[in-house]
Amino acid sequence: MNALLVLLLACAAVVLGYGWYARKIDREVIQPDDKKATPAKMFMDGVDFMPTNRNVLFGYQFKSIAALGPILGPIVAVQFGWLPALLWILLGTIFIGWVQDYASIIVGAREEGQTFGALSYRLISPRARTILLVFIYFYLWLIMGSFGVQVGFNLLTQPAVPLGVLATILLGVLAGQMTYKWKQDIILTTVVTVVLSFVGIWLGTLPAVRDFFSAILGYRMVEGKLVSPTLFLAVTQAKLIGSLAVVLICYFGGVLPIWRWAQPINYVAFWIVFLGVVGGVLGLLIWRPDMGDFPVFTRFNPGVGPLWPILFVTVACGAISGWHSLVSSSGSARQLEKETDALFVGGGAMYLEMFFAIIAYLTATVAFGGLKGYQDAGGGAAPASVFSTGLATFMNKWGLPMDLGKAYGAVFLTLMALTIMYLVVRFMRVASAEALGDRIPILHNVHVGTIVALVLTLILIWIVPFLQIWVVFGAANQLMASLALLLISLWLLSRGKNFQWSFWPFVFMFVTTIAALLWNAYSALLVKLPQAKTADAFAAQLIIGIVALVLVVAAGLLAYDGLRALFRARAAAAAPAAARE
Amino acid sequence: MSEGEERVRRSLWDSFKSVLYGMAGHDMARFALKTRGSMEHLFILITMGDLLGVPILPPYYSLRLLPYVVPQISTWKRRMLRERDLTDALA
Repeated sequence: MNALLVLLLACAAVVLGYGWYARKIDREVIQPDDKKATPAKMFMDGVDFMPTNRNVLFGYQFKSIAALGPILGPIVAVQFGWLPALLWILLGTIFIGWVQDYASIIVGAREEGQTFGALSYRLISPRARTILLVFIYFYLWLIMGSFGVQVGFNLLTQPAVPLGVLATILLGVLAGQMTYKWKQDIILTTVVTVVLSFVGIWLGTLPAVRDFFSAILGYRMVEGKLVSPTLFLAVTQAKLIGSLAVVLICYFGGVLPIWRWAQPINYVAFWIVFLGVVGGVLGLLIWRPDMGDFPVFTRFNPGVGPLWPILFVTVACGAISGWHSLVSSSGSARQLEKETDALFVGGGAMYLEMFFAIIAYLTATVAFGGLKGYQDAGGGAAPASVFSTGLATFMNKWGLPMDLGKAYGAVFLTLMALTIMYLVVRFMRVASAEALGDRIPILHNVHVGTIVALVLTLILIWIVPFLQIWVVFGAANQLMASLALLLISLWLLSRGKNFQWSFWPFVFMFVTTIAALLWNAYSALLVKLPQAKTADAFAAQLIIGIVALVLVVAAGLLAYDGLRALFRARAAAAAPAAARE
Repeated sequence: MSEGEERVRRSLWDSFKSVLYGMAGHDMARFALKTRGSMEHLFILITMGDLLGVPILPPYYSLRLLPYVVPQISTWKRRMLRERDLTDALA
């Protein structure tokens, strides 16, 4: 299969899915009306609620939903072969992904900009909000763990990468200072900081700099390979430094004012990521490679778990993601200028994310000429390395040296991960203070709350293998999405609208993700735990098994309450009809 | 290039610029507005808190400030009294 054919298939999915199916649902079921005042207009306060141009909101929505999920997910999922992963990315987006994103915006807009927490309290049950928040906390912890492993263990441990990341972070801080304190022109600020960041990435690839970081990371040449000494558990000196660096960066992101750290760094990072995507796509279009001997289908269980349900949770945000529903309902719904913008903003951004996932998918399937190359680059266990090498291969086609491209790809991924990790660590800090602050007052302290979140993150990074964290994270992510679909179905039913288009995706996602979590709990607690020979292997399986079970119980309670509410609403809708007859 | 083509070209370029701004800068602009709004609302709470039943100091200065605050009172009240939960922190 040629890469261009894959891109053409993605275009066909947009025409069919967005152009026909999504528009049909929008026109016939939701019936958006521009005469209805949106919350952004009704409650405009210049703070949370503010009408925003549809193109701007589209960009905002896309940037908010596109993190590491659509990049790492497809690269992990191609272990099943190129066809299953491709089919799920396309079909998942067409039938489920956009439904959730678009409907979350519509529900938020029609319900006065209420968040999913408030809506679940009202539409499902009072305890649903508390359960949802517990669920979200665990889900965010898994995000920190899975992203943290890739950045701390696979990206920052490459000697050519740390200087580029450090340069971008320091220049991001400078961008904040120039913008907010020195009141400099934004174009000047952007040009200075972005150009210098690229210089930093390039300097990182120079032999002297690489040797310097190799020495810090403890690398020695053993049988032609760079090896770092193991310090404890399975953590080498390089991995220890990498993971501590991630935690330190996130600590600053968690405790410093947003304008001082997270936001300007994210701004500079955006340009690096944006130009990286443009460069990668350009190289792909020039090269037009095919998949070589990459198999259509490998086997039902390639080691990561059985095709059903594991494939559907490993692709993660490339097809559907619970994170999107949180962003859509709390962020975009409150800025929607007109109801008719919702499809373009929610559905359109999801389809663009599908393209993003397809580009990542192609880095794994076409960049290495076959399955062996993919596995040699790290395979499903090190998707970040696969992506950075694949992107470098694409950019090499228009002349960027391979070494520089690999460092650039790794910096690109690190910055993308950190963008989300700042937000997540702040959220975990607020959540722990809200939930336990009355009993443990010290959690109200900004530093303590942040350190607790980061210590929990380090436990996951150091102890639990990446693939296990990723599969449970993917399942939690998709489960969050299925719960959002349940809420959407309930809302549609309460408004007397056709709810089948969101209810059946809910059923599929719920059954699949619960099965994935149960499979993980079974595999961890009953298969791997008895075989564990070391204390850390024992702890890893115990943690992953318990987290999977907690998520199953929380989701089960929410679904039980949700289905009861659904049947109540149906009975209430049927009663007046029966009385009329 | 005809006038129609020129209009289409300009419209596409404007859309591209808006999308790029949405990705790169909208969050920053929104955060700056949020910070300013929060400071203003905190100030109104301190000076006009009795409008929401929050006891404040004798209201001489509040009365002097009242004419300047009137346009913001409705949005301020709505924001102060709106039900919130943790998912608001993600917006």
